[in-house]
Amino acid sequence: MSLRLFRRLVFLEASKLMSYRGDFWITAVANLLATTVVHWFLMRAIFDTTGAETLGGYTLPEIMTYFIGVNLIGRVVRGADLQMGIASEIYDGGLSRYLLYPTRYLPFKYAQHLGAIIPEIIQMFLFAGILIAILGLPEESGVTWVSIAMTLPTLVIANLLYFLLSTPIQFTSFWADNVWSLGVLLRFTSLLLGGAMLPLTWFPESAMHALRYLPFVACCEFPVRVATGEVTTLGEYSLGLTVGLAWCGVLGLACLPIWRKGQLGYTGVGI
Amino acid sequence: MIEVTNLRKTFYVHKKAPGLRASFRSLFHREKTAKHAVKGATFRVEEGEILGLIGANGAGKTTLVKMLSGIIHPTSGDARVLGHVPWERSNELRRQVALIMGQKAQLWWDLPAADCFLLLRDIYQLPEQEYRTSLDKLSSMLGVKDVLNVQIRRLSLGERMKMELIAALLHSPRVLYLDEPTIGLDLTAQKAVRDFILEYRSQRAPAMILTSHYMEDIERLCKRIIIIREGEIVYDGGLRTVVEQYATEKTVTAHLKKNGELAVAKPEVARLGTVAECNAVCVKLRVPRDRVAEAAQALLHHYEVADITIEEPEIGQIIEQIMTARGGSDAGGPGAPESLGAPSIAGSSAENEEEGS
Ligand SMILES: Nc1ncnc2c1ncn2[C@@H]1O[C@H](COP(=O)(O)OP(=O)(O)O)[C@@H](O)[C@H]1O
Ligand SMILES: [Mg+2]
Repeated sequence: MSLRLFRRLVFLEASKLMSYRGDFWITAVANLLATTVVHWFLMRAIFDTTGAETLGGYTLPEIMTYFIGVNLIGRVVRGADLQMGIASEIYDGGLSRYLLYPTRYLPFKYAQHLGAIIPEIIQMFLFAGILIAILGLPEESGVTWVSIAMTLPTLVIANLLYFLLSTPIQFTSFWADNVWSLGVLLRFTSLLLGGAMLPLTWFPESAMHALRYLPFVACCEFPVRVATGEVTTLGEYSLGLTVGLAWCGVLGLACLPIWRKGQLGYTGVGI
Repeated sequence: MIEVTNLRKTFYVHKKAPGLRASFRSLFHREKTAKHAVKGATFRVEEGEILGLIGANGAGKTTLVKMLSGIIHPTSGDARVLGHVPWERSNELRRQVALIMGQKAQLWWDLPAADCFLLLRDIYQLPEQEYRTSLDKLSSMLGVKDVLNVQIRRLSLGERMKMELIAALLHSPRVLYLDEPTIGLDLTAQKAVRDFILEYRSQRAPAMILTSHYMEDIERLCKRIIIIREGEIVYDGGLRTVVEQYATEKTVTAHLKKNGELAVAKPEVARLGTVAECNAVCVKLRVPRDRVAEAAQALLHHYEVADITIEEPEIGQIIEQIMTARGGSDAGGPGAPESLGAPSIAGSSAENEEEGS
């Protein structure tokens, strides 16, 4: 796929979303507010009952920063994951047209996926800016220009990784009719094991260690910790990047035989 | 340009009885039924030729086209398009092929046509100059220049189809599949599409396969047709020669001198064929081809005739008959042309091709 085509796809998809989803902004604000309020009450209750100053290394303001970070970054990483675009194109025959074009399907879809998250990226920076302006950062917060710059590569990897995680799942649509539930399962698993529901430090030591080597942390907790300046050593930073990249490679390779086998049986329904 | 050898496609469909219990059972045990959509197709299409692919609904036309355009893999058999195996989908081949489907929009629903075309320019990596000239030419030929910036989903069906044509031809394909390109269009739009296809052919001489329900499309565009029935090719040859091969009867009509009397079907005449009409104006007789002269003579002899006409049946009717006649045991039943079951006809008529012109 040429770079020019890739750029055009990203651009078209982004401008489409920006121009037509008026509810897009309202949903985003409502979502952020609702989850933050829920987290606030939940965490305050936990800190009050235990009477502890810190839990798993986090103070109350720190954990709230963490959850807001998870929310903002998570949407950029996952994009429109629940729409299962690939699965529905296989199911309804929309895939046919891409088989006619002299280009590869997955890069095509990834470009569109990237385009779809550009509005989310803009929102992420905007919301983060507004929140910091209003609430300020917690004391001793590690958010700096350096930490933000360091987050960018982790986000790129996280986004690709999440796409590659969901692709083999969506490819099962070649064999089964209803794979949406699998998409929900992936989302739930990645949120739980990626540290979006509870910080990883709240997990048992051994589990926490194992989770660092699964793809989910690279999709969620790792970029957030880099952004908030908690990843301080070069060793830890490069380990996180390497784990993410390695999983991208593994999953990318896994997609190929599944695709090859699946399209053999594709019947191009709907025409 | 297109060579097809014994191409077959069988779809397997899971059978499931209605109801919750059946659903549950099908979780563990699924019964498959085989649907033989294309049962061994063999033919060739040359440069500049428009092959008409005719068949009833479900005959297997689209399945054949889907295999030749590389969307699906065949169950067995072989095909070469411009020397490539279509379902291997090499980029070199895909740059030279286009498929137009009347039943399914291929363009991106929520983009204006102009954006779709830009995207296609990048997909096919067309040089800017070439892209501009072809877009300009195509859109003015089809008269859609003023709606290029309207979202596809807001266009009328006719306009949308024209956009699909432009999209398919921007990269000047050498092989073109048109699957019911005029379906659902009004007469003016149908004509525009047909004229456009002819124009494109005269400029580029691509190999084309056209499937259509409308006889008008076929008669205007194709000199050679393939008739497919339940997945089998039952006729491959000239459009005009189908009449000679299958029309066993002609219609002889005697237009009577006006004397106000009702003509009666006389037995001397009736024994020659079937009396289709008999009234004060005319006597119409359907007779086997070899008895036409005899019938004309008999009519002249027995009635006061002002004029006499001898007609072949409509091509459309004959094709309709061939298309819908039951294969196998029923062939040759009442109304079916006698030679229908004969498989030797398919593929035998390459020499007839020019006769239709
Ligand atoms: N994807 C599919 N799965 C199962 N059966 C199919 C599929 N597509 C077509 N068929 C069956 O194959 C036969 C031929 O279909 P098709 O080629 O679409 O017919 P046509 O285009 O001539 O109307 C039909 O009986 C249809 O039910
Ligand atoms: Mg069809």
